Amino acid sequence: MTATYNISAGFLRSVGQYPDRLFYSDTERDMTYGEMGETVSRLAGYLCESGRPRRVGVLATRSMEAYAGILAAGLAGAAYVPLNLKWPEERIVALLRMLELDALVVDAKGAGLLTPAVMEAAPRQIIIADGARDIEAPSGKDVVRLGDIGSRPMREPAQVGADDTAYIIFTSGTTGLPKGVMISAGSLASYLEQTRLWTQLTCDDRLAETCDVTFDLTVHNLFLCVEAGASLHVLSALEMLAPGRFVRARNLTVWMSVPTLVAMMRRNRSLKPGVFPSLRLSIFCGEPLPVEAARAWAEATPNGVVENIYGPTEGTVVCMRQRLTAPAVTTPSRGIVAIGTPYENMDIAILDARQKPLVDGTPGEIALSGPQLAIGYFGAPEQTADRFRKIDGRRWYLTGDLGMRDENGVFHHLGRTDNQVKVKGNRIELEEVEMHLRRAAGTDMVAVVAWPVIDGSAQGLVGFCNSALPADEIAAALLKTLPRYMMPDPIRILDTLPVNINGKVDRRALAATLDAASQTETQPKDRPALAVATSGAIA
Amino acid sequence: MTQLASARLRETIFAVMADRGLPPVGEHEALFSTGRLDSLAATEVLTMLETDYGIDLADEDFDILQIDTLHDLEMMLSMRVRVAA
Repeated sequence: MTATYNISAGFLRSVGQYPDRLFYSDTERDMTYGEMGETVSRLAGYLCESGRPRRVGVLATRSMEAYAGILAAGLAGAAYVPLNLKWPEERIVALLRMLELDALVVDAKGAGLLTPAVMEAAPRQIIIADGARDIEAPSGKDVVRLGDIGSRPMREPAQVGADDTAYIIFTSGTTGLPKGVMISAGSLASYLEQTRLWTQLTCDDRLAETCDVTFDLTVHNLFLCVEAGASLHVLSALEMLAPGRFVRARNLTVWMSVPTLVAMMRRNRSLKPGVFPSLRLSIFCGEPLPVEAARAWAEATPNGVVENIYGPTEGTVVCMRQRLTAPAVTTPSRGIVAIGTPYENMDIAILDARQKPLVDGTPGEIALSGPQLAIGYFGAPEQTADRFRKIDGRRWYLTGDLGMRDENGVFHHLGRTDNQVKVKGNRIELEEVEMHLRRAAGTDMVAVVAWPVIDGSAQGLVGFCNSALPADEIAAALLKTLPRYMMPDPIRILDTLPVNINGKVDRRALAATLDAASQTETQPKDRPALAVATSGAIA
Repeated sequence: MTQLASARLRETIFAVMADRGLPPVGEHEALFSTGRLDSLAATEVLTMLETDYGIDLADEDFDILQIDTLHDLEMMLSMRVRVAA
């Protein structure tokens, strides 16, 4: 019998081995492996009623139903596709139309988004949380509550090949719609094989989950957790801001989040030396990790280690890692922890503009090659061809990240080669926001800049346009098509926008104007100077 | 007296809500867990608890879920007033 790449096989093994151990816990409920196994097996049985499903949508996050949907889709041999609860209706509808899902799993919060337009674009099979509001099934749709499924439970994982799609996670795209990164079951297996070498989870570990399932850090947490028989503890958005009580009450051993959370805790002074004695491993990812933040965290976790990891979604979660040591290995020009050395199964290169390798010490674009590379972008062969290139007979992914390798073989992240920014851990293409701003403002003269930038991390977006419409009207129109975490705020109306030598709107000049203005302005009373942003990582 | 103690805090919360064009909330309505207000607004409330009310956010007894409704905030502050008195 050939090896199966079924992504839920590890979970099923733990269900057999540790039926009474805790698998999942949030503020509302606890589930053991045995209980979750029953739920997942019945749901998988239902998903398979008319054959092996290809793609199952998950309109849910930070809930038992979200994880049940993911694990059941995996068990049934389908790719799971998380849909962001912060997306506006139009975006959800557009993606549902494109994805042609076989089923949609919806939690109580997700059920609030099931408008008539979303229902029409949704697949026939819709599974909703027991606690969700009543949903009337339009003709041609079957709406069933998770607890009411009477299908024969699926006890054996479906046979899955290495090239089958394991999941599709969306990231911001330059064309106005997000890009769906397709990761194969083989890539995920490779990733887990390399990662368990350093995380070494056991059934005694208790993991903090700070992310939404639309963010691939949850791939790391979930699949490493279930194969070890460990438990996953989901923090609410509030608990993340001062997590001391949560971590201590549950005696958590592993933490993973975006560095922005560290900044928030430092700002509200809840991060103090020794506050997290139970943590043995803390992992940061998704944006630059300032050395100061890493040190403050290390002091708060005297019995643990701190790891900075790097990897775009297109390379299966993570492909480089740097442990915080004393002295720290840093990228001095940016005051951040270095991104470290590559996973053994991956090749990392620094390339020039013509994709030729550069010598150590020279900055260029970071490119990845190896078994963790994504299949490509869903339904977007041109965008796939643009970023995934054959170079000297090998397939490489061009990250768009600017980096360099030093004389010790350590890699450093130096910024971006394009207009992709990270706002509080959310990956955003400025062009995508501009595309929407153009439509909402009814003008071609628009620009969006990431501002202000603190510790190498953008705090928000500011929009500029020469529209005849007032800013609040533009904002209202934008909110129909853009999630709040991608909203430029404020939107400034100018008579003309500065252009550079190529005649393009000069974002750099606009950012400089904002910098200059903030230095001369007095701080507004009682209001933080930061732009508002809600985040996929932080609600 | 507690009404007075929390006056500034309430004022801040209502100001943030007005900024977002949100109507005022009832005493028992969730401010943050429902997504009505975001983490930045929560950070503002936390900072205020720390600086104006002397609440230690790293303390074992500090339960952040108690900032989710005006009622719970009021309870938290009145407890502190009593402890201090």
